[in-house]
Formats: sequence, C-alpha cells, structure tokens
Amino acid sequence: MISIIDYGMGNVRSVQNALDYLGYSNELIQTAAEIKASEKLILPGVGSFTEAMDNLSRLDVVGAIRDAASAGTPFLGICLGMQLLADQGDEGGLREGLGLIGGTAKRLETRDADLKVPHMGFNEVTYTKPSDLFAGIDDASHFYFAHSYVLDCPRERVVAIAVHGLPFTAAVQRDNVMGSQFHPEKSQSHGLRFLQNFCERPAC
Amino acid sequence: MLKKRLIFTFLVQDGRFMLSRNFSLQTVGDLQWVRQHYDFEAIAFSIDELVILDVKRGVRDLEAFAGIVRELSKTCFMPIAAGGGVRSVDDARTLLKSGADKIVINTPIFTDADLLQRLVRRFGSQCIVASIDYRRTGDEGEVFIENGTRPAGMTVPDAAARAQQLGAGELYLTSITRDGTGQGLDLDYLSRVGAAVAVPMIVSGGAGNFAHLSKAIQAGNVAAVSTANLFNFMADSLTDARQHIIDGGVPLATWGRMERVAE
Repeated sequence: MISIIDYGMGNVRSVQNALDYLGYSNELIQTAAEIKASEKLILPGVGSFTEAMDNLSRLDVVGAIRDAASAGTPFLGICLGMQLLADQGDEGGLREGLGLIGGTAKRLETRDADLKVPHMGFNEVTYTKPSDLFAGIDDASHFYFAHSYVLDCPRERVVAIAVHGLPFTAAVQRDNVMGSQFHPEKSQSHGLRFLQNFCERPAC
Repeated sequence: MLKKRLIFTFLVQDGRFMLSRNFSLQTVGDLQWVRQHYDFEAIAFSIDELVILDVKRGVRDLEAFAGIVRELSKTCFMPIAAGGGVRSVDDARTLLKSGADKIVINTPIFTDADLLQRLVRRFGSQCIVASIDYRRTGDEGEVFIENGTRPAGMTVPDAAARAQQLGAGELYLTSITRDGTGQGLDLDYLSRVGAAVAVPMIVSGGAGNFAHLSKAIQAGNVAAVSTANLFNFMADSLTDARQHIIDGGVPLATWGRMERVAE
C-alpha cells in the first residue's frame, strides 16, 4: 500500500492515476497516525514552500514524517515535496523545512535572459550517481518539470541533475528518503517506470 | 536542454467535442465518439501536454466539465491544463482535483485581477496559464474576452504584461483571425510579442498540417504550439506530426511506449 500525504497542495489525483495504472494499491492520508502506520510514503506538492510547511504543521504531521524517515520507511517527495526535504526554504525570507535531505530550496537562476522561468516542459535528467530509482531508464531520458525553485543540497545526496541555463538538482536519495524535482506521474513512460521502481522497493 | 512542446487542445461544450473556426463552434461528437475515432493512447503518446477547455457560451456546468477532465486524465501521464469559466478558487480546485495540473484563465485577467492573484498565491504561478485571444488589426493584435465576443480594450503586448504582472506562469496566445482556417499560425506577430515575455509562451490558432506545427515550434520566443484541430489530427497524424518535427531537426521529448505492469 502506497500512502500519499494529502495536505491540500499538489495534484494527488495524478499520482493516484499513475499508481492505479501501474497496479499499486494506494490511499490518501492526512494524519500523524496514518503516516506512522504506512509502508511507503509519497509527498507530492505544487506551490509555495511556506504554505506547504504551514499546512503540514497545521495537520501536525511534520514530526510523524521525520519519524517515518528515521524508521526507514521508503519516502518519495515530488516537486515541491522534494524541496520540502531541505533544511529551509528561501522565498524572500527563510522558513524551516523537513530537513531530511538538507540544503536550501531557492529560486531557479538561469543566468540567461532567453531562458524563461518557470522551467516548464520535458528536459533530460542526467545521472550523477547510481540509484535504483532509475533502474531500467536510460541516462538522459526526458522527464517533465514545472517549477521556479530548486533544491540546493549537499552533493552526496544528489543522484541526478538537469540543466536550464545552470545545472540543478533533479533527484535526490539518502537511503530510504528520495525526491524528484520532475513529476514522474506526468513524465509518460519514463515517469511510470520511475514510480514503479519506487513502489517495488521492499517496505522496511 | 528544455524541449519545446507539442500540445493538443480539446474544446468541449456540454460534454461534446467541438471544432472551431474564428471561434464559431461546430459539434463533432461526444466522449464516446472521441474514443471510437481516436486511438487515445496513441494521442497521449505523441503529445507533450493536453489542454481541455470548456468553450460553452452562457452558463457552464463546472461539475460536468470536471467529469470530462477526470475521464480524460485517467490514462494521460502527461500534464493537463483545464479551464473555461473558472471564476473562483473553488472552481480551480475542482478542476485540479479532477486531474488537471494547470488552470487556464482568460476573461478574469481583465475583469477580476484579484482572482488571478489569489489563484497564483494558492496554487503557484506554474499552475496558472493565462489565455489571451486576439484578432489582428493592422500591425497589432486586439484582445477579445468571453469566448472572443467582447473587446477587452487592450493590445496583446499589454495583456501579456498584465498577466505576467499578476503572476501567471505561462501564456497561451490564440489568434481568433487564424483559428480553424488551416492557414498556419500568426508567427511573425507572436514571435515579436514573445520577445518581451519572460514566461513560457504557447501559441495557437491556424495549424492545418505538419509544416505549420513545425514552423511554429521553431519560431523565436515560442515554447510550445497547440492545435485544437480535431479532424486534421486523427489516427496516426499526431504521431506523424511529432516525428516530422523531430526529423526536421527540432528536438522534442521522447519516451517509450507505455507498458502495463501487473503487480
């Protein structure tokens, strides 16, 4: 059973559609108790870091998420969900994050006036370290991105990058805690394979 | 490197799929018709994004439209933008919960700026697509709202600036003049407009064949081209169009065929 944390941000239905298509039973959850009881967790997210942390705090699940991560529960943050794994988010003012991967979520910089922000569309994801998340997916495959912020985190946590003017973090992994800046549920067949790889991990 | 995008737009009215010419609508068929005449999996395979618009004139039934979005989104693993008649944050939320990833907003850009700002604050700028429809008058484009029936009293460049200022993360520009004519897109003008646009810009209106799509996608300042031309792009046509663009030297995203995996 894959448990998707529904904190009112992001398109949980897309993730559910993808998991349904792949044949993995899944549920939407909202409480600390449900997080504690889950075998695998997905944290989706689209929107503002600050509002996301506000919502997670209001639901009183921040502690439960950190505990689940420490306990070894496979955990996947998608898009904003990956950025929330930072120590902090910088949206014109610092806000504390979940701290599971470290670093800072900050505005995407292209250093090229011809490149538009948000970074919107399919782009190559290049591996920097081996990761079972990308099993069976060729290096430099295309995944879908839609974001104006990136996760700037310790290099040893980065498993893949993408480039939009400058390189930025496309995927992270630290044991059981994983994240993708791209939307696997919106990345056609490669994305489905990525999700399948996550879902196939043995539960702890 | 970020790839340009080929987008298909479904125009829906009261559960029926429409063909449009200069924003005059003609009914083609319902969802069942679409399923019968389109290999939907093939379409989903050959486009980068799907846009679904409720083009009904008059009172819309958002719930019914959301139902169509829900159906179409079940086997589409690419981004979906939905809109038409979104007049509140709740409307937007209904569509997002039904499977849309982005919301398309048109008339409120000009009649309810506060709504646009609220939507951006609530859902993020990358979730909001500002749709601007226009008719050419000489060298300029004049914006029309409410399904192209009422002048907004603004030129396209001004409207584009306004939408960006209000926080829209993407623009979707449609030439009413070219719409459904199959004469090709209004590229010189749109490229010019795009030079001053800082967010990704989707262009539409007038695509009748592969060459039009290819030319549009290569145009400067264009991030994506959309066609709503149901008849020209049935069967394998969209897949062929995509290949044609790639063969012409424009890199588009590629992916493998979907393989269903039983647990």
